[in-house]
Amino acid sequence: MKSTRFFSPLWLLTAALLLLVTACTPESRSSNGAPAAGTNDDGSATEKVTIDFWTFWGSETRRPIIEKIIEDFNQSQDRIVVKHTYLPFGDIWTKNLASIAAGNPADVIINDYADVNLRASKNQNTNLSEYLSQDDIEKQFYPELWKNVLYNDEAYALPFNTDTRLLYYNKEAFREAGLDPEQPPQTWEQLEEYAKKLDKKTGSQYDRVGFYPLWGDFGVDSWLINGDGGNGYFNENDETSINTPGKVSTLEWLKSWQDRLGRQTVDAMKADFGSGVSDPFISGKVAMYIQTGTYNTQIEEFGQDLDIGVAPIPEREEGSGHWSSGGGFVVEIPKGAKHPDEAWEFMKYLTGVDAQKYWALKNFDNVANIEAAEDPEANENAVYKASVENLANTKVFQVPLSASGYKDLINPHMDAVFLGKETPEQALQGAEKDVQALMSKSK
Amino acid sequence: MDRPVPPASGRENQAIDARRIPARRRRIKPSEALLFVLLSVGSLLFLLPLWWMISTSLKSPQEIAQYPPTFIPNEFHFENYIHTWQAAPFTLYAFNTLMLAFFAVVGNVVVNSFIAYGFARISFRGKRLWFSVLLATMMIPGFVTLIPQYVLFSKLHLVGTYYPLIIPQFLGSAFYIFMLRQFYLSIPKELSEAAKIDGANHLYIWARIVIPLSKPALAAIAIFAFNGAWNDFLGPLLYVNDEVLYTLQIGLQSFRGSVQTQWNYLMAGSVIVLLPVIVLFFLFQKYFIEGMNLTAGTKG
Amino acid sequence: MKTNAETLTQKKKRKKLSPLARREELQGYLFILPWLVGLFGITLFPMLFSLYGSFTNYDVTSRMDFIGLRNYTRMFASDPLFWKSLYNTLYYVALMVPLTTIGSVLLALMLNERIAGMRVFRTIYYLPAVLSGVGVYFLWIQLLNPSSGLINTLLGWVGIPGPAWLSDPMWTKPAIIMMKLWGVGGGMLLYLASLQGVPSQLYESAKLDGASAFRRFWHITLPMISPVIFFDVVTSFIGGFQIFQEGYVMTDSGNGGPMGSLLFYNLYMWNQAFQLFDMGYAMAMAWVLFVIVLLLTLINLRMSRRWVYYEGGED
Repeated sequence: MKSTRFFSPLWLLTAALLLLVTACTPESRSSNGAPAAGTNDDGSATEKVTIDFWTFWGSETRRPIIEKIIEDFNQSQDRIVVKHTYLPFGDIWTKNLASIAAGNPADVIINDYADVNLRASKNQNTNLSEYLSQDDIEKQFYPELWKNVLYNDEAYALPFNTDTRLLYYNKEAFREAGLDPEQPPQTWEQLEEYAKKLDKKTGSQYDRVGFYPLWGDFGVDSWLINGDGGNGYFNENDETSINTPGKVSTLEWLKSWQDRLGRQTVDAMKADFGSGVSDPFISGKVAMYIQTGTYNTQIEEFGQDLDIGVAPIPEREEGSGHWSSGGGFVVEIPKGAKHPDEAWEFMKYLTGVDAQKYWALKNFDNVANIEAAEDPEANENAVYKASVENLANTKVFQVPLSASGYKDLINPHMDAVFLGKETPEQALQGAEKDVQALMSKSK
Repeated sequence: MDRPVPPASGRENQAIDARRIPARRRRIKPSEALLFVLLSVGSLLFLLPLWWMISTSLKSPQEIAQYPPTFIPNEFHFENYIHTWQAAPFTLYAFNTLMLAFFAVVGNVVVNSFIAYGFARISFRGKRLWFSVLLATMMIPGFVTLIPQYVLFSKLHLVGTYYPLIIPQFLGSAFYIFMLRQFYLSIPKELSEAAKIDGANHLYIWARIVIPLSKPALAAIAIFAFNGAWNDFLGPLLYVNDEVLYTLQIGLQSFRGSVQTQWNYLMAGSVIVLLPVIVLFFLFQKYFIEGMNLTAGTKG
Repeated sequence: MKTNAETLTQKKKRKKLSPLARREELQGYLFILPWLVGLFGITLFPMLFSLYGSFTNYDVTSRMDFIGLRNYTRMFASDPLFWKSLYNTLYYVALMVPLTTIGSVLLALMLNERIAGMRVFRTIYYLPAVLSGVGVYFLWIQLLNPSSGLINTLLGWVGIPGPAWLSDPMWTKPAIIMMKLWGVGGGMLLYLASLQGVPSQLYESAKLDGASAFRRFWHITLPMISPVIFFDVVTSFIGGFQIFQEGYVMTDSGNGGPMGSLLFYNLYMWNQAFQLFDMGYAMAMAWVLFVIVLLLTLINLRMSRRWVYYEGGED
């Protein structure tokens, strides 16, 4: 008895809600990637085409910026309407893959710079050569970034933004340690010398660590580029260049930092700050710290009193080069998009001077368009200016297709060095061997 | 492990059923006091994450960046909660999520109990085979069926709607069916046999005997199903195309940028999202103190 | 519980169906009909598709050519990461399943007592099971801090120097298991529900016979909740093999933790499928996992005849 009385209002509610869901349906289906070319969108005589644009910029800071750019584009012409959809970072690409497989992808999507060639080889993005033969816009981008959108020498994406890593230093701490705040370290030797002076200890406990190379946003991979004359794990001919003398000595040098501070200190600090909630540089626990250019906006927001300077990454020895590493995002047309021509129009706008200038000015993010990046207005910001200049030293690498997934093979060897289980030489030898095995299998 | 003595069939022992003894002021036994202390101390450890979430949610961004982290915020920024709620159309998202959770609860409780009854209390040819298939469907990792499933729903023209999220809730879940089957198998057969002799069919036995007897299990499923739908993230993200149909968990992600995370808002949002879960759990607990009353089914 | 002989005779009996048995048969299918619809409508196609896919070089977007057993031979013969991820996962499952099962039974027993504030206690202990997302992981990173974390501080009080949990490859998996133990609320809820089904008359008569609390637990409670323990063990195995996120959220060593010690099976599979788009290989991995879990479940099922007690009979 009780049970029937309990369930019957529930059924009623269920039925009512199901009706509601049904009512919602037609509206949502129209945005289902197959809009009938927006014939009666606003009753105007012109036929407007609605294109779907997926980004992961949903935060309160970024969303208004990208939506302003979209609005400007929508206003600038009367043929194309761009509809922006926010999808969370990372998952956006899972959905992209599924929707390409099902044949209903977005028309334009922001994607990771790193695997343009991989996606191209898998038929996931659209070849842009035909569009580029009409609108030759290659020259407006940094060549280092343009290299990354190529697959078999043809472009499959347009670079949108990029980043570069710089050495941030705490000027107050410099003064305290008797260092000239206008003379940041230029070489590894100086870096060590400065770091020792900046260390502050009570007993065996560090109150402040001058510098530790692997905290911040410059990992082993990046240091190996920096210490090996700007060379990554692979050369231009897609051969491995992992076990090189430059990389061996770089790894030895990195290990020496851990030996000096002690593994315990390093592990404890890593645990304190690894989650990215509290920040060691902003809290004054670390005096020098490597981070991207946009890190400055966080400093301005969370550490107002901090007096900081930025410098290029110190070089191994004079003349070896202040190499830094970079990344970024690209714009591409997923394969099977319904409106590639209109998508191209929008992509051109998105990577054009006006939009890129606006993006740089609002975010202090490094943009791919050279003219926009060097625009004087944004360059009034000293850190932004330094980051733009740093792009000349910044390496962005394309991974050879046959070596996809190589990081899972290299990383354990690098970890082994810092756990004292392998010498730098053994580790790089092992890593090279493993990666070569992978590449020979994939060929 | 020994088999238990068969349960003395209810009636003659009813007199000594503890619950039937009129409520009286009981002396607190030392063992109970010890348990109380033990549970209280344990609670502190279990409450830690919640406290950390609440405390972070009330901090200013400046304070969050500081090290060492403060256990109690220096200043309480209650306005973070208002800000969080207004940062995205969260009221809409809450409504959407609630609707999906509602279907998940109704569907899973009713349908799974129905199916599980078939597997537990009716003998038919092929039952073992079908049950093996049911178990097998749980064993294949969802990642590799994600894309074909999406393509399937896309072919059915259901991508962009809630149907791919709602329909499966009414077609049984292997996990819950298996769970309820285990519960139903431990209900003494005599109870249903008696009804059968009286001419009752299975539908009647299911609705009038088994369901009332398995209320604790159904309450557990209701809680699990609610949490599942409430916290589901990838499902709505994949199948819904319009931000109007987004859910709370997707909304929360907007505080996690590719560059930096707004911890205070993310945590404030997480606390708000957690509240209904706690309330629901607290409410449903009445089903966990009833105990099995062997006569409840037949007497109604 | 039925003996084999009994089931056999029953099977024979069923060959000739009386009208009553036929009605029974029909009702049986009627009851499982919703599930059958779901199976054939939604579940089966993706499963079979992935089975076929495991014999192809499927990459989702450009190709799906039959390549025979190549994915499988590659996995067993020349993929060290496959073995590493399998080892990590087996290690984790072997410890996690017994520990969480015992943990949740004990917790449920404690929370089944009638003492003041029990509703609140239950809610608190259930909380970790519903707290999801990054916040929890980051809290644990703090708790596991080798020098200032709560866990090593507690260990220090009893004179044990705690390890560098998340940086030492030897200790990363135990750390994850500890974290899982703290989230046993879901299992606890299950057992709590099942404990409500133990007729209290049983306890009362045992008490009259002078049985100790332990004997009552061993001879009454345990057999009565054994069907649910069986369910919990089987599904914990299945769930344990699906561990995924912890492998990269908990450490800063990228995918898979220090020296790949947290490269779990599903994480490696995910990378193959969604980072490298080698979906055919991922599907083959999925079906290998399927076979492993299936074997474990069959062993479980075999053994369950010895210790699982069904009050209502199994068939």
